[in-house]
Amino acid sequence: MKTQFNRRGALARLGAVLAGVLALPVARTAKAAVQNFFASSGAPRGYDPTGHKWLICLDATKCIGCGLCAEACKKENDVPQGPYYRTWVERYIITKPKPGSAETHGETLVDSPAGGMHGFPECPVPADQIEQSFFVPKLCNLCEHPPCVQVCPVGATFKAPDGTVLVDKNYCIGCAFCVQACPYGARFLSPVTHTAEKCTLCYHRTTRGLKPACVEICPAEARIFGDLKNLQPDDPLRKFYESNRTQVLKPHLGTGPRVLYAGLDEEVR
Amino acid sequence: MRRFSLPPQILRLVLLTLVIVGTYLVARMLLVPQSFGTYGWYRGAALEEIASRTPVFAGKKACAECHADIQHKLDNSEHKTLSCEACHGANREHALNHDVVPAKVPGSLCLRCHEANPSRPAWFKQIVVKNHYGDKCTDCHLPHQPSQSP
Repeated sequence: MKTQFNRRGALARLGAVLAGVLALPVARTAKAAVQNFFASSGAPRGYDPTGHKWLICLDATKCIGCGLCAEACKKENDVPQGPYYRTWVERYIITKPKPGSAETHGETLVDSPAGGMHGFPECPVPADQIEQSFFVPKLCNLCEHPPCVQVCPVGATFKAPDGTVLVDKNYCIGCAFCVQACPYGARFLSPVTHTAEKCTLCYHRTTRGLKPACVEICPAEARIFGDLKNLQPDDPLRKFYESNRTQVLKPHLGTGPRVLYAGLDEEVR
Repeated sequence: MRRFSLPPQILRLVLLTLVIVGTYLVARMLLVPQSFGTYGWYRGAALEEIASRTPVFAGKKACAECHADIQHKLDNSEHKTLSCEACHGANREHALNHDVVPAKVPGSLCLRCHEANPSRPAWFKQIVVKNHYGDKCTDCHLPHQPSQSP
């Protein structure tokens, strides 16, 4: 076989190489443009998400049901008006069993009017019929194996290295699979952006060295927040789980919540 | 000897495969975000975007920088666990710029926590309003030192 060189072929090849070289910066610009179409960035620096591991502890025996946390969360995160809450307080009322029913307790009533944001109305059960009543603050359980992340079809929700489960608003398509998948009811579809929304553990605060708004505002110290990777000797977090017997919500689901509760009744789910 | 050449249908298939793979690679390069995979199977820049929100609550530490006297009173009272902004409202604007006058504290805040409710824990001080003296809490209680009278 004999290789043939001619002017036309050589020029064509040279042209192709030149076009390729010229196309490179164009492709780079196009890439940047396409990506900017989907997302734009700009944020505080100096926070290393791999250097932290957040944990929240909730003491149900301390919660007084004032609802300041739910209110503060709405304000801090600009949560849409209406029945949308990233954190809320539930009131549990367990009635006395009917005489002769051979039960330990009667009915369990749970309510959370406006997420407990404006406090709670008078108890619907007369005081002498209440066996037990208490408040339980709720929020995203910061799962180690979050079901909401597994079901997201576009990778818009994820668990950050610091343990926070977040939603990438620019990539969320609003299918609400995650809303259904969350066993703790911690997610909702925003009526404003039509994307999934949830507790971010006040990511804009924690990255600046502040406590989440609900923890900051709680007047009864029912919410304790800390960093497991940078525990101080007198850390309130350490004190909490050393002096309390803690549990998580729905442990049988294997989600591995990083929200620990103290003083919960078995009726709380 | 005849020169070996690929059958034309195979050549077309190979070319088609190359075009499809090439198109995929170009589309992938254009569409996959730059920061994808920084920390995991998601866009790393999303973390910064979520963190770029401006905080609304200043936090107790910021208040104590100027109001150490009140902080000291609070620390020695039953109200030591209270955050300033629990009653005074979110005041980060005021904390950053002292010329911004914080909003006035609305009255009737005490009852939000202290009104008797069977769901509240027993250790917590609660009152039944109609059985309690007077009509204004602050007539008898200093908010920063609730066990002291003005």
